[in-house]
Amino acid sequence: MQPVYLFVTCMVDSFRPEGGIAAVRVLERRGAAVDFPADQTCCGQFSFNAGYHHEAAMLARHFVQVFEGSDGPIVALSGSCAAMVIHEYPSLIADDVVSTGGTTLEAANWKNRAVLVGNRVVELSQWIMRFTEEPSEIPNPVISSALHQGCHMRHLLKANVEPEAVLRQCGINPVALEDADQCCGFGGTYSITEWKVSTALADSKWDSVKQSAQDHQIACLTSADLGCLLHLDGRQSRLGEMFPVMYLAELIDRADQGTLMEIRGRSVKGGSHGRDTSR
Amino acid sequence: MEHLPQDPRPWPVRRDTALQDTVLQTTLTHVTHRLNNARIAAYRHYPSGEAARIRAIARKREAIQDWSVLLDRAEEEITAHGGHVKRAATPEAVGAYVLEIARQHSVKRVIKSKSMVTEEVQLNAQLEAAGLDVRETDLGEYIIQLAHEKPSHILAPAAHKNRQQIQRLFVDTVADAGEEVSEDIQELTRFARNKLRQDFLSADMGITGGNFLVAETGTVVVITNEGNADMVTTMPRVLVSIIGIEKIVQDWDALEDIIQQPALSGVGQRLSSYTTIISGPRARESWEGPDEWHVVLLDNGRRKIHGGPYQDVLSCIRCGACLNVCPVFQQVGGHGYGSVYSGPIGTVLSPLLGGMDAFGELPSHLCTMCYACQEACPMDIPLPHEIISLRETAVSERREPAAVRTQYRLWGQAWSTATGYRRSVTAARLAQRLAIRRVGLAAGWLHTRTMPFVSSVTFLEDWAKKHRRGSS
Repeated sequence: MQPVYLFVTCMVDSFRPEGGIAAVRVLERRGAAVDFPADQTCCGQFSFNAGYHHEAAMLARHFVQVFEGSDGPIVALSGSCAAMVIHEYPSLIADDVVSTGGTTLEAANWKNRAVLVGNRVVELSQWIMRFTEEPSEIPNPVISSALHQGCHMRHLLKANVEPEAVLRQCGINPVALEDADQCCGFGGTYSITEWKVSTALADSKWDSVKQSAQDHQIACLTSADLGCLLHLDGRQSRLGEMFPVMYLAELIDRADQGTLMEIRGRSVKGGSHGRDTSR
Repeated sequence: MEHLPQDPRPWPVRRDTALQDTVLQTTLTHVTHRLNNARIAAYRHYPSGEAARIRAIARKREAIQDWSVLLDRAEEEITAHGGHVKRAATPEAVGAYVLEIARQHSVKRVIKSKSMVTEEVQLNAQLEAAGLDVRETDLGEYIIQLAHEKPSHILAPAAHKNRQQIQRLFVDTVADAGEEVSEDIQELTRFARNKLRQDFLSADMGITGGNFLVAETGTVVVITNEGNADMVTTMPRVLVSIIGIEKIVQDWDALEDIIQQPALSGVGQRLSSYTTIISGPRARESWEGPDEWHVVLLDNGRRKIHGGPYQDVLSCIRCGACLNVCPVFQQVGGHGYGSVYSGPIGTVLSPLLGGMDAFGELPSHLCTMCYACQEACPMDIPLPHEIISLRETAVSERREPAAVRTQYRLWGQAWSTATGYRRSVTAARLAQRLAIRRVGLAAGWLHTRTMPFVSSVTFLEDWAKKHRRGSS
């Protein structure tokens, strides 16, 4: 059994725990011994992108402390959060150490710790492609799914074949959206601070999904990034539509269990936990 | 005069106007997709292009680093060929110098080729205020000049207009009484060409920008897709080339690599359709060219950028590739930025040149942080990081409202400990039960989207339940 450390991300933790639970099953079925360091919180990308670097560095240091001292891959349930840890942490933490009065030696030490942790981080579909054996033959697809590749997964992790390849292994025909490389408008806090532009981008993305649905008979929309899906799903839900939106780990889990055909009007919001009282 | 012209309309007005403009939405999508697909195809069909691009970046970065020496060299060479060099620090200095030359030569009519730097210094307004007739000769610039607008795209200034609007504009402005103007694109172009021909023939002064200034020979290089710069540089008696000092290139060897980049990334061609090379005024034995050639080297805030954390933006070749991939640009177009420099490069350059007071909202409000521009930029300018860095500046200069700063501070403090994180998730769950979700940062979400619920059992709680012994 290969030890794997799950980085569930704050969004999956709070908004879609089913996605994390599904990921654990997916990992265990593929021979991983999953450990969940329970003190983990959030990667801090929200603060980092907004320019609050000291606040982001506090979260980054906490993350490094939680995950260091073990060995083996850290599986992130978001391409965007994985990119944050891998690409931003080393200089973010080191700069913060210096600007809060630390020595350059301390900064270098922290940077090294961040690099060591970052080197172990992979997104879930990357882990499947890197650490498990490919099946000897690709099964015939049971369903097609539109795949939304998050921007940080695409441009920063450059993990542009893994989600597709994993879906194929699982009997799911991945369908790339028209203008697939366009941002869906989520952008973390951008979805809140600049909600008009963010929503216009969500509507463009849905236009592409609908086009795909017409051309390819897709059963659902999936992505390795829950943030994008919550934003897109929240938009269609407000418009009274209910095209199935499935978080990637849950889609793989369904494929593993042979229940892909049951996807109908599922959304990532959950919704069983109460009414949307704010409407 | 401000360093960089600013649209007086605030961002929310600019944004809403753009989002509601259906013509803009259609033309913008069309233009950006066409240019972006052309860029991708051009590099794909040019295997050695990537090596040229890598060399171009290295040489351009070197040229920026050594620009003082190179600018001195360029000045010596230009002077040796009979040209005149003026170093200008501000937009007013450019205007005053050009007007002085115009006065000396009794200039009445001016023709121009496309130049972003003259947009930056509002040269047309300065010259027109002194009574000169100024005519833009790039088709897109001609259109926006007639419409009294600013460019909406660095490369395609009239990208926001469709042919019906352009036809009406021509009828209303330059068509003779009763003159028929067709809506057909070729006919519209032919119409503009005929009108412009009269302007070319009657002009006393030509003004160009400059894409490159080659130091070793003191040569100004202008690239166009219409050939209009050839006419601007050869027909009038006096020629003025206005160039930002960051356009310096050390030698022809470096130019060979660098000159391909705006063509490849801007329009998807190996070379721009026309390359106009200006080496000096008309020599005694030659029969064409201007009697006098003046080169204005503009600073206008560029020296302040040099040597600082944003020095890489000085490598920008104004190809517009970052605009064509930017999701926000595709929604609001160039006019949404309120600056002549739009898109991701404008989001960085505008506050650097025009100040955070005027343009500080660009980094905060016009970027989703998708990193598409970083991948598209042929000069590898780290635009997303520069935008984040400008946001950081805004935070440290306390430009964000105090309530927002406090929220981020508390958020950071709480989530940097496991206990604080768990407490705040519990608090959020409680808040949603009490239906107080319209407060704080989250309120914006709810205008257009339903809000996901904090689960009644989070992953963390579920894990702790299942692994009771292992939990802390």
